Amino acid sequence: MRLTSLWREPVLHFLLIGLLLFVAYSWLTPAARSGERIVVTQPMVDGMALEYRTRWNRPPSDQELARLVDAYVRDEILYREGVALGLDRDDPVVKRRVRQKLEVIAEEQLARQAPTDADLAAYLEKNAKAFTQPGTVSFEQIYFDAATPAAQVEAARAAALRGSDPARLGQPTMLPPGASNARLDLVTRDFGLEFGAELEKLPLDTWLGPVSSAFGQHLVRVSSRTAARIPPLAEVRAAVAREWENERRTASLAENDKALRQRYEVVIDATLSTSTAPR
Amino acid sequence: MRSSYLNQFLCLVAAVLVTGCDRAAQTPIKTPASVAQPPAPADPAAQASSKPAVEEPQTVQLGGTPTGDGSQSVDLGDVQPADPSKFHKEPGYSPYAGRQYPDRPYFGDQHVHTGWSADAGGSGTTLGPEEATRFARGEQVVSTSGQPVRLGTPLDWVVIADHSDGMGVISEIKGGNAEMMTDPTIKRWHDMFAASPTEALKATMELINAQSNKKLPPLVMDPKFAKSVWLKNTAIAEKYNEPGRFTTLIGYEWTSNAGGGDNLHRNVIYRDGKEKADRVLPFTTFQSENPEDLWKWMTEWEKTTGGKVMAIPHNGNLSNGRMFELTTFAGAPLTKAWAEERQKWEPLFEAIQMKGQSESHPSLSVTDEFAKNYELWDRGNLVLVPKKPGMIQYEYAREALKNGMKVEQELGTNPFRYGMAAGTDTHNALSASEEDNFFAKFPNAEPRADRWNEDAMKFGDRVVKGWEMTGAGRTAVWATGNTRAELWDAMKRRETYATSGPHMVVRFFGGYDFSAADISRSPAVAGYAKGVPMGAQMPVAPAGKVPTFLVAALKDPKTGNLDRIQVIKGWVDKAGKTHEKIFDVVWSDTQRRKIVGGKLTPVGNTVDVARATWTNSIGAPELIGVWKDPEFDPTLRAFYYLRVLEIPTPRWTAYDAAYFKVKMDPNVPMITQERAFTSPIWYSPI
Repeated sequence: MRLTSLWREPVLHFLLIGLLLFVAYSWLTPAARSGERIVVTQPMVDGMALEYRTRWNRPPSDQELARLVDAYVRDEILYREGVALGLDRDDPVVKRRVRQKLEVIAEEQLARQAPTDADLAAYLEKNAKAFTQPGTVSFEQIYFDAATPAAQVEAARAAALRGSDPARLGQPTMLPPGASNARLDLVTRDFGLEFGAELEKLPLDTWLGPVSSAFGQHLVRVSSRTAARIPPLAEVRAAVAREWENERRTASLAENDKALRQRYEVVIDATLSTSTAPR
Repeated sequence: MRSSYLNQFLCLVAAVLVTGCDRAAQTPIKTPASVAQPPAPADPAAQASSKPAVEEPQTVQLGGTPTGDGSQSVDLGDVQPADPSKFHKEPGYSPYAGRQYPDRPYFGDQHVHTGWSADAGGSGTTLGPEEATRFARGEQVVSTSGQPVRLGTPLDWVVIADHSDGMGVISEIKGGNAEMMTDPTIKRWHDMFAASPTEALKATMELINAQSNKKLPPLVMDPKFAKSVWLKNTAIAEKYNEPGRFTTLIGYEWTSNAGGGDNLHRNVIYRDGKEKADRVLPFTTFQSENPEDLWKWMTEWEKTTGGKVMAIPHNGNLSNGRMFELTTFAGAPLTKAWAEERQKWEPLFEAIQMKGQSESHPSLSVTDEFAKNYELWDRGNLVLVPKKPGMIQYEYAREALKNGMKVEQELGTNPFRYGMAAGTDTHNALSASEEDNFFAKFPNAEPRADRWNEDAMKFGDRVVKGWEMTGAGRTAVWATGNTRAELWDAMKRRETYATSGPHMVVRFFGGYDFSAADISRSPAVAGYAKGVPMGAQMPVAPAGKVPTFLVAALKDPKTGNLDRIQVIKGWVDKAGKTHEKIFDVVWSDTQRRKIVGGKLTPVGNTVDVARATWTNSIGAPELIGVWKDPEFDPTLRAFYYLRVLEIPTPRWTAYDAAYFKVKMDPNVPMITQERAFTSPIWYSPI
């Protein structure tokens, strides 16, 4: 009812006719875009000079400044022409860039306030696992390649137990002969998983083995071990603050996405599978 | 709520300022001292072994050597390997006292792009520098394609090197600032935003108007409230830099595509932290595509800030004969001054990455069976404009090392005195180049059944297929500790090697007195005492002496055993002609392998392609030896570098085929031999 009366509205007719004329005019006179102005103001030139100085640590010469202005004008002309042709539309690079700007703003909007100690303590408690300090181990090792017969390894073990210098037993290797209070995860990184796992459970203060590693076999004496532990906040404050902040940052981006999406009605008028018959 | 209006308002101001505030963002923003890295907590892993020493000093550096106070330069700062006097030479009772040489190599990637690179963002990458850094240090993240991913072996350091061209300046305003409200215009706009949607719209229009007429309130333009992408970048690097544990070197990529696609890209790597990096904006190709201008920028940067920077070029293989051309960018003949500049600013070259290797080409090194069919991207430049005959000789490191000495013979300076680096050049923020964990370069090539058969690059009918992507690589740095200054200094003195991925440990020393007696569990002791390490130049040969080399390699515990260590020698004869020769020096399975017709018999192959597995039943976990150059001529310039080869293992394509149960074409390589190339040791008669 209201729609039909709207269609009878002369103003609408007038507008539609006007629009039609405008479209026709634009269509028929493609070269009509002329006489656009590009104004280069003093503040803009000053800005260019300043930018030049921040990169080169000196002001541009007059000639260089003229070139900068010329480059600006050229950029501007080509940019405007391109935009007039719609070249900025549906360009993934342009889209991403604009999106990136918005995301940066959304991130910063959160202001990233400094967390309080209470914030951090709560965060540490909730995510204790992530801040667990790996256990440490002190050990010595004597290396044999994988092919060394068991009897030979056992003989070396007996010698080591009798007090022979371990450095003179076994075969030379570039692997470290041991470590003192080394983090277990780093021992595992350097010797491989198998070896790291064994070191976690071997009894202390005696030569045992052979223990296999990615490199061969080892006699091992573990002299001390500390368990993995959750450190107090003071010890890991920087790391906790960083993680706290990162969580807030990701959350704010997600919230922003959600809020913006609510302003859109999204219509997906398509099949979301390429394996079905052609549409 | 008022504050949300304020946020909205500031957000809008920021949006409008996005381009207009550029200038305002360029004056340095003071970083409060508290932002600087806290001193590293003493890392227990760094304590040396308590074990009493015997004849071979033993050291344990499982956790890296924290050298104390982080961004402070540790005063080993400028150790010159050519002048080993700074290293400990006379053994005292305590083998650890005074020891100042590097104990372990630090593995990293100096080439990670994130969604903040225009081309990476354009390809869909949503992960930014923060995610990229977290991933590199071993955290699990979710990739752009939605797949959880984590590194098998975390890195010791990383450089997020987004393209400077795309960085631009995004200005922004910090929210809720009372000082901004002191400006009546800003205050009025703020109130309009709070009043009603109609008023808010009016404020928006005013704001846009003011922006375009350059009449924004000065406070809005105040750099205090503005922040560029570069500053955000350096802030993230600063936040994750943990001296002794994980280092973030600040950097960016200057992406010069001469003639529209001849790859002359360089990564610029900073020794210093945010405070210095923020003072000057990165150089972009909007200013110039000529590397000489980049060097000028670097000169100026160092002068302005008192800091240090270096540039690492990459992908000579895609430069269509331009990376190591023997003319200047403009086509003029080379001069001594030009050679000095290039040598000064570019100590390293990235020899392998996801877009193939630029170490050697089979058409240049015709007898090198390991250059053949190894990760070659040699059909064109970055936009696949096909190569013309004669281009390839100016694209690969080995040839450049030879030509560099030839130029030195003529001009007195070697412009191509490059050490070896590697990286991924990933554009999905994931430095995930491990063969069994390959997330490739762009989100569309993240693990998916068809990725091997899709086009990695396509320009017209010129195509690089997905399977041609390379799972590489890592730069290993023999630094005295895992800090910015120490890593950078080691890179500057070229004490580095490139690997196709594995974290293998490679030692290489050159001197005149190495003998079998130096083969010990600590080759570095004899190595530094009696010679120079990789990346350095040997002193002139004493009369009658011949260069000897101490070479050693220890496998990565996660990857294949070692096949062999080779010395690659290059030299220039009196007539100015360049030569190369490859020597097999140490190898595994000696009882069954021998040299036949000048070549070592192959190590064999245990790869089960269908299951993407192998066994370490061949090869050796470590190799060590001493080699003496049998063809030494003391009057000729020469370089020597190592190539360490692993036994054959499955290539990422094999892991893909097994996981996705796809059958790939017979021409797709399913097996690779991972490898390391060290920086050369140079010999010069003068």
